[in-house]
Amino acid sequence: MEKTVASRLGIAVSERISFLIKSGIFLSVCGATLFFALAASYPAVHDTLHNARHALAVVPCH
Amino acid sequence: MSLKNLPACFILVSVTLFGSSLSAEELNVYFKTTPRIELLRPFADPIDLSLLITGVEGRPVKQGTVAIRLEAPRPGRFFSTDMPLVEGTLLNEMQLPLRQGRANWKQLFPIRGEYRLMVDVVTADGSKASKVLSFAVRENRQKWLALGAFSAGLFILGFVAGRVFTGARAGEVALIAAAVLLGGSAAISNAQQNTPAGPAILEIEPATVGKPSLVRWKLVNDGAADRSAALTLTITHLEKQKVVFAVEKIAVPGEWSMKFNFPDGAEYRVAAVGTISGRTPVRTEEVIAVTGVEPPLGATAPVLSCFVALIAAGLGVGRWTKRRAPALSRPLVS
Repeated sequence: MEKTVASRLGIAVSERISFLIKSGIFLSVCGATLFFALAASYPAVHDTLHNARHALAVVPCH
Repeated sequence: MSLKNLPACFILVSVTLFGSSLSAEELNVYFKTTPRIELLRPFADPIDLSLLITGVEGRPVKQGTVAIRLEAPRPGRFFSTDMPLVEGTLLNEMQLPLRQGRANWKQLFPIRGEYRLMVDVVTADGSKASKVLSFAVRENRQKWLALGAFSAGLFILGFVAGRVFTGARAGEVALIAAAVLLGGSAAISNAQQNTPAGPAILEIEPATVGKPSLVRWKLVNDGAADRSAALTLTITHLEKQKVVFAVEKIAVPGEWSMKFNFPDGAEYRVAAVGTISGRTPVRTEEVIAVTGVEPPLGATAPVLSCFVALIAAGLGVGRWTKRRAPALSRPLVS
């Protein structure tokens, strides 16, 4: 994937920058997943994970 | 004035100034929980709470009432509990008659932390006493273990991702799936049919989590001279099937009320049985749905930030170990 992007756009980034970009995307995805799982109020998500939220002691729930 | 009278003057002034507090000291207030306080855990089984009021001679007070006010622990500095809306609120406010110097009730403590119990006693002869009692409820150890395991899982997830994202093979691997979160499905309880009021009425204010609601039981005025009754009132969390509050056979003059803070946005059954001498017990029951309130962002943000920080730390450590390994395995060039 990295090689495809680099060849199409003609951009070559260093390994360090590549790591930072990928880590940033990864953390954003993880953060969003955690938010939906542990803090979202959608009934389907909340009801399914209600017990898990309470089981973690520090995750607020209503 | 001679010096001989000086001590007498001090005593006179002391009695005049502190006379009321001296009478309060004539009563002793003892508080007891079953199981004992060290074993209490939040949202576990309901706890038997008992107050014993005795006179100076140690005998239980025969008649009197005790006003009880129970406050939930205050919010923590950084992390909240799993029920942040309950923190620092009034959990229960009621008045119980003393029976052989005792007042007993059952209560479920919803969260960890230090509770404050304010007790005001008034005896039949007018003696008064007040006491503020504090006791701590410790968190369930299993919850801390679950939190530790979850945190370790997040760190490992970041660690693996950090190793994958580092080096030549980084581009070959797609994003790792996010943490698999386990959750139990909430049991849906069957709604109870409200029984008709009959000779007694049970009134409950619309309940919202974090705000005490008035719970009131009263006998319908049927013209009977003696309206005294022995009231048993139980509040049950239907989803968990746990008794969150109960009083048993307290003597009431045809009416009793309290303020109660329903700790969770769920369905509760409030059942009251009034026993009146010479009549069949009067049972009244209500099922209420308590309105849940979303936790504030101030309670959610710190914990989510910490979880993301754990993944970030894992990423860093994973990258560090991946970069360190080739350096160590590189042969030394002479």
